[in-house]
Amino acid sequence: MKHRKLVLLMIVLAVILLVTPLLASCGGEKAQPGQVLKVGVMTPSTGPVPSKGIPGQHGFADAVEYINTELNGAGGYQIELVWRDSAYDMQKVGTIVQEFMDVGCLIFATHSSTEMKAASGKSNEAGFPGLAAFISTINLHPTTHVYGPTPDYGDDWIAFAKYYMDNIWNGTGKPKMALHGLTNPTGQGAKDGAKAMADELGIEIVDISEHKISTIDETVSLQRMKDEQIDVLFISSTPEPTAVIIKNAKDLGMFPGITIGCAAASFGKALVDLGGSATEGVYGVVHTASWDDNVPGITKVKEYCRKNNPQDLNNDDYLSCWATMMVMREILVQAVENAGYETLSKGGIEAWQAVEEQGIQKLKDYTAEGLMGGTVRYAGGGDNRLDNYLRLYIIGGGKAVPVSDWQEAPLIKYEELDWWGK
Amino acid sequence: MDLPAGTRNYNYAEDMAIFRTRTHWFLLIALLIILFTAPLWFGDHWLGIANRIGITIIAVTGLNLLTGYCGQLSIGHAGFMAVGAYTSALLVGKAGLPFIVGLFGAGVVAGLVGILFGIPSLRVKGFYLAISTIAAHFIIIWVIEHWTSLTGPNGIMDVEPASIGGLVIKTPTTEFYLILIITILAIFAAKNIARTRVGRAFVAIRDNDLAAEVMGINIFRYKLTAFFIGCFFAGIAGSLLAHTSRVISPDYFQFKDSILFIGMIIIGGLGTTTGPIFGVIFIRLLDEFVTQLSPALQTAFPNLLPGFTSGIAPMLFGLVIILFLIFEPRGLAHRWQLFKAAYRYWPFSY
Repeated sequence: MKHRKLVLLMIVLAVILLVTPLLASCGGEKAQPGQVLKVGVMTPSTGPVPSKGIPGQHGFADAVEYINTELNGAGGYQIELVWRDSAYDMQKVGTIVQEFMDVGCLIFATHSSTEMKAASGKSNEAGFPGLAAFISTINLHPTTHVYGPTPDYGDDWIAFAKYYMDNIWNGTGKPKMALHGLTNPTGQGAKDGAKAMADELGIEIVDISEHKISTIDETVSLQRMKDEQIDVLFISSTPEPTAVIIKNAKDLGMFPGITIGCAAASFGKALVDLGGSATEGVYGVVHTASWDDNVPGITKVKEYCRKNNPQDLNNDDYLSCWATMMVMREILVQAVENAGYETLSKGGIEAWQAVEEQGIQKLKDYTAEGLMGGTVRYAGGGDNRLDNYLRLYIIGGGKAVPVSDWQEAPLIKYEELDWWGK
Repeated sequence: MDLPAGTRNYNYAEDMAIFRTRTHWFLLIALLIILFTAPLWFGDHWLGIANRIGITIIAVTGLNLLTGYCGQLSIGHAGFMAVGAYTSALLVGKAGLPFIVGLFGAGVVAGLVGILFGIPSLRVKGFYLAISTIAAHFIIIWVIEHWTSLTGPNGIMDVEPASIGGLVIKTPTTEFYLILIITILAIFAAKNIARTRVGRAFVAIRDNDLAAEVMGINIFRYKLTAFFIGCFFAGIAGSLLAHTSRVISPDYFQFKDSILFIGMIIIGGLGTTTGPIFGVIFIRLLDEFVTQLSPALQTAFPNLLPGFTSGIAPMLFGLVIILFLIFEPRGLAHRWQLFKAAYRYWPFSY
């Protein structure tokens, strides 16, 4: 008996001895001085929105390859990409952002506003700065350590509404608009924009509907909108539900007839692929340059996309994530220049603070090789959008073509509106 | 309780003891030492995963009491977690009550909502009950999404961190200790519930509800009790999730989570106390493994087809679960029992 207990004791001790270093090697890794700048990126490459997540993942990765091979990294240091698939699982997002902090990432990016919302609980607490390639009002108001490389979904609604009033609406009185939004920050952002500005722009919001990301039929809500005799429908969602809504609208005989506009996350090549000819004539807001624009950034995007991921050619998620990575590179360039590599290599709070104060907040007149509408800059004063220009497109001949010039999206201080957050 | 050969119980206390032999106590203490010193070895990322495992163990332990012991199939458990998460966040954040009140309030409110949706269990069972609990999940989430004056248009973005007696729990390490202690208490409570009159009534109802009724068991009362207890645990888990993630919205409580919880108790072993622990650890670590696998594959094989590395992860995840169900359908708890039996009879093979 004693012998057996002794053996058992030895086994337990042996297991502890074996497991301890193994577990220690699994975690506890803090940013060590080295010759790289770590950047964390998460995309929903599996789960309900791989149509957005996988091209986005490729866009981030190809941009890092371009930056490291042709731009000599950021400030002379190679960028090391730490990519994780969030699977659009919000509980998982928390552990991923914790991992980014743990392994010494200096800044992180999410593909979607919903991922950023889930990540910000941990990242804001730690002061870990992050960008979302697609960002919503809730991510930016009130200002925290979260930044938008582009305008938000509220800006999308406002830009489309202005364009509609100036160029399309020719009736009398107020046009009747309906909103169809995803049940997450993507949909909410457009609603926030409409709530803030509809009266001022002279638009009557007659219906606000929500849909799930997995929706396969929206004829009930659309029939209601048809009965309400809407003039214009604005969709803020992802391409799959947007294609469903547009096809349903066509089947119900609403479209063509009414005008349909889309926020940035709804719009692009994925929508054309999914919606086919039904999407002809649909308007959309886009935050980055078009694949057909003659700017240096697009030349490089095309080159790397053709080489590594030709199936993503003309994909807007790929382009948005590439552009976001270029902005992150510029942030790191500024941070290295102003705070020094030594400060960044220490990792942790001090490094994150340096990235934010000496990197993000020092951004000025960065053109992102022409990929953004305006110049990337930090405006301050409650504006965490690093670029505030966007452009209207229409789908024609199976592709999105611009119908407006770049326009500036004004800052709406949502947090000062009495209905905000209620 | 199965004991090593030659060990006998001579009184009632020995018969009822969960930890009966010195070896049991030694292993328990060793395990507790390992768990309580874990922050010394784990990085914050792995502590975060451990926290997620702990929270899920609490929820799945509740589901195991409801489904594994009482036989009431519930596929809406993530919805009950959501009830707990919002209740706790609101009680602490808006009402200004202490975290402990929020924690127990979350359990009680989720339990009461569970009773409400458990009422159909008197009339329906099996797949029909499963459908009604699926409905529960969607109804709960719909209410949360549309009751925005209470739950906020974007969820609750500033959930207060847990605090007990002035100690604010907001680092991965302190969160780990909080979740670990509550997980241990939850497992201990579940173990004891299963051994009480209530637990035996649950098992009787699960095995043959007609026979249980003939024996004088009030089926309706015990079914509702099972729903209350199971959902109470889910509410506690939801509260911990809210106060550690610091942000909650309906996105946190997806229907697939409810299905995954069922998978966890099947893989771990239905109707055993250790089953949920094994099942949750297995699934959560597998999930983490496949999350790490995709980028590793991409780095190792840069010429793989686009999208392959992302696709391989869920495929592997599904494959492992299928293989597991084929080769160990009685769950990991059964494998653990076989191991313990082999240890008891060692060095003999019988």
